[in-house]
Amino acid sequence: MTSSAVDVTPAADRGTPGSGKAPSLVSALRWEVRKLASQYRARAVLAGALLGPIPVAVVLHAQSRPPKDTLFGRYATTNGFSLALLILGFSCQWVLPLLTAIVAGDIFASEDQHGTWKTVLTRSTSRAKLFWAKALAAGGFAVVMVVFLSVSTIAASVLIGGHQPLVGVSGQLIGAHEALRLVSVSWATTLAPTLGFTCLAMLLSIATRNPAAGIATPVVLGMVMQLVGALGGIEAIRPLLLTTPYESWHGLLASPRFTGPLTQGLVVSGAWSLVALLAGFVMLRRRDITGG
Amino acid sequence: MRRVIITILIALAALAGIGAIAVATGDGSTVTKARLERALPVVFANQYAEQARLLGHPGITAESLHPVAMCDKHGPDFPDVGPGSDWICLMGWTDPNVPMPPEGYGKFELNVHSNDCFTAGGPSKLVGFQMLTDTAGRSVNNPVFEFDGCFDPSTDNSPTGTVFPSVLNVASTVLPVDAAGKVGLQVTCGTGADGCAGTIAAASGSTQLGTITYKLKEEATATLAVPTAVPPDAKDVTFTFTPTAGMAPPSAATVPLGR
Repeated sequence: MTSSAVDVTPAADRGTPGSGKAPSLVSALRWEVRKLASQYRARAVLAGALLGPIPVAVVLHAQSRPPKDTLFGRYATTNGFSLALLILGFSCQWVLPLLTAIVAGDIFASEDQHGTWKTVLTRSTSRAKLFWAKALAAGGFAVVMVVFLSVSTIAASVLIGGHQPLVGVSGQLIGAHEALRLVSVSWATTLAPTLGFTCLAMLLSIATRNPAAGIATPVVLGMVMQLVGALGGIEAIRPLLLTTPYESWHGLLASPRFTGPLTQGLVVSGAWSLVALLAGFVMLRRRDITGG
Repeated sequence: MRRVIITILIALAALAGIGAIAVATGDGSTVTKARLERALPVVFANQYAEQARLLGHPGITAESLHPVAMCDKHGPDFPDVGPGSDWICLMGWTDPNVPMPPEGYGKFELNVHSNDCFTAGGPSKLVGFQMLTDTAGRSVNNPVFEFDGCFDPSTDNSPTGTVFPSVLNVASTVLPVDAAGKVGLQVTCGTGADGCAGTIAAASGSTQLGTITYKLKEEATATLAVPTAVPPDAKDVTFTFTPTAGMAPPSAATVPLGR
């Protein structure tokens, strides 16, 4: 394949935005974004992220007995901030990995499904550039999805549940302004593990060449990791799991605040992302695409 | 399809590999006795102050309560570490409106999760029931009946040194008399530091029935045999407690005989 002639390391590829190769990455990215924008699935995910939290907030708020078995469920029916954090806890279980995997798990495998690898690679773009364009498109989609879901959930929860002071995880009362800020930051902390799942889904998309497996496997892996993380006795592996950073926001709502798990979560999410990206990159580069 | 299966298997194997390495290198759970003993009083104090505000009790703040706790997981012969719904914490605090019982604490039951968060349920005798009536006459949720909290997994894990005694209680409401005229007293020893030990003097009216020496682990029950047979016309037996470890009923307990 000719791609071996334009071999560039991923870092170099990203690190030279001003060089002659950069416009090609931008145009590849533009193509990927355009493909996503015209995809029914991607638009449905974004619409779901924007509109889905509204009925969820309405239904949860209308419960006669609050869901006390979940953190922040105790006051979810009487406090909007609690409601937003309850939905956050729920989203972290499988909603966020699923929503990002719907795009990221499909973005490479769809070329296999449609048999379009040869077509896209004969455009004046290299495999490396195509890889990073797809990665950036999937990552960007994940960010937009998280922003949509957070803003919609927080707005719906506070409008429906009210903005009384929030009871934090140290039992302390947090005033409405501070609570709004902390709830927003808590939602923002899900970005790192969600991007980790995005990279994992891309790797699985490349490895399986099957959109269904690319979408479902990260979600299943996420659930397995959660189960493993909840078991007693093997807690030494808890910090290494990609689902643990999804719980790191608890420390923001404590008094005094603690951010150790948050920092650890960023490192762990970064490591998962990096390993998945590099493995995916190597796998795609070594692949024999002559068959289509 | 084979590619899909192989990939998924590799992913699961990688996960299991990470697990094996981690299990081999260490087994530290962040949920420990000392961390719970530090975290629970903080959450409790904040929520108790909120309850005092609802009830209109003046002068109660999170700082004025000085709560201290002693926690134990799953009975005496079990390491006090790891998540589970079998954590018990004994907590004592200062509220002039609600004096502590003689042993100086109330018993809280905790369900602790591996993510360092817990749900605690308080003793109704000291903290009230699920709903309470606030100063405005409304029925509102009692914040300390049940509450949630989380703690920093990197907080100090050195022992807090808080110790509360076990309490010996008489469980028998009636003493069945066997064919030989002998009776046995059923007692329970509650959660606490060193179990229950001491002597019990048994008497029926003016007849002394002897002395029983007892030694129980915490969270245990035992049936203590009264050495001498009870007189045929006796109606009840009175027990007087002299504890050497843990607490015991301060006044004598009289239990009727069942014939």
